[in-house]
Amino acid sequence: MCDVCGCGQHDHEHEHSHFVVSDDTTKKNVEIKKSLFSENDRVARSNREHFDRHGILAINLISSPGSGKTTLLEKTIEALKDELKIGVLEGDIETERDAERVRAKGAAAVQLTTGGACHLEAPLVHKGFHALEKQMEGYPDILFIENVGNLVCPSSFYLGEHIRVVLISVPEGEDKPAKYPKAFKTSDVFIITKSDLLPYFDFDVEKVKKEALSLNPNLKIFVVSAKTGEGLDEWFNFLREKVQEKKAAKVEG
Amino acid sequence: MHETSLAMGLLDSLNQMAEREKAKKVLKVRVKIGKLSGIVVDSFVFAFNALKEQFPKLAGAELIVEETPTLYRCRACGHEFEVETVFFPECPKCGSVDLELLSGEELEVVDAEIEV
Repeated sequence: MCDVCGCGQHDHEHEHSHFVVSDDTTKKNVEIKKSLFSENDRVARSNREHFDRHGILAINLISSPGSGKTTLLEKTIEALKDELKIGVLEGDIETERDAERVRAKGAAAVQLTTGGACHLEAPLVHKGFHALEKQMEGYPDILFIENVGNLVCPSSFYLGEHIRVVLISVPEGEDKPAKYPKAFKTSDVFIITKSDLLPYFDFDVEKVKKEALSLNPNLKIFVVSAKTGEGLDEWFNFLREKVQEKKAAKVEG
Repeated sequence: MHETSLAMGLLDSLNQMAEREKAKKVLKVRVKIGKLSGIVVDSFVFAFNALKEQFPKLAGAELIVEETPTLYRCRACGHEFEVETVFFPECPKCGSVDLELLSGEELEVVDAEIEV
């Protein structure tokens, strides 16, 4: 993380250009061979190194607006705040509202307002995490990065997270995986939220699971309701397990 | 909409390259975009052309986009095949799902032609 702002020591990747001289002396070809995401990915890798060094489990939450990302976070904080230190980066286009909501539940939170951009990028997460460290006077066990509500663009930007979670809520309809394949292809976990509404909607859970798995056979799937509590314990246990793995890896490392 | 951020990032890095190479201007830039990359090529080209005016050395640059197909190799039988769908396919020859993606996720700036 800190090679970005100079607060740490890391190897820098230096760019080299290779020339191919053409016949025309005023024109030349410069070989670039660089990903369009290279600047974002460079900062994302350094974010990840920073998280790894401090044994922090970083989770990036992606969904449409209104799928229940913040509500799931509120429930998660209520359940885990006595055993784990939780930090949240809240991505939104405008307002501090979500950060205020999760702070009210007892987690540290920094609001990242993109001022119009439809997704978070790694440099903003880098900056936000430094602010969060200050607020917490230390490091969290889990960092939740709540992306801007959008199922399209956030899936293209790696932020340095260990686990990417995509959520869809029952009222959104069962065709979401097929319509937004990239979000499902790049995620590790898929959470179906608002399962208490299943009796009122034509939403075939098994069909949706099957379609999501055909995009990404490695997806781990949870079906939850923040209202009734269905499936939440499995989600909390999954988080506990992943935090333990992260801590163990830090000790070994 | 993220095509705009990417186009801006490309223009920034081309501008830095032009400074570094002491180029008078950049004439052409070639990028490879895979069908699985999540980039809408038309939006990307539109954003590039709309934003390039901000950089004097890039204002006349032509963007050449090469779209790469979604190509898999089957680890079970070695068969190579192209698909149009974004869904995870099966090998059409032996039915295996143990596949290696050979191309389709590219988002690469290949090279640029500059005038010095």
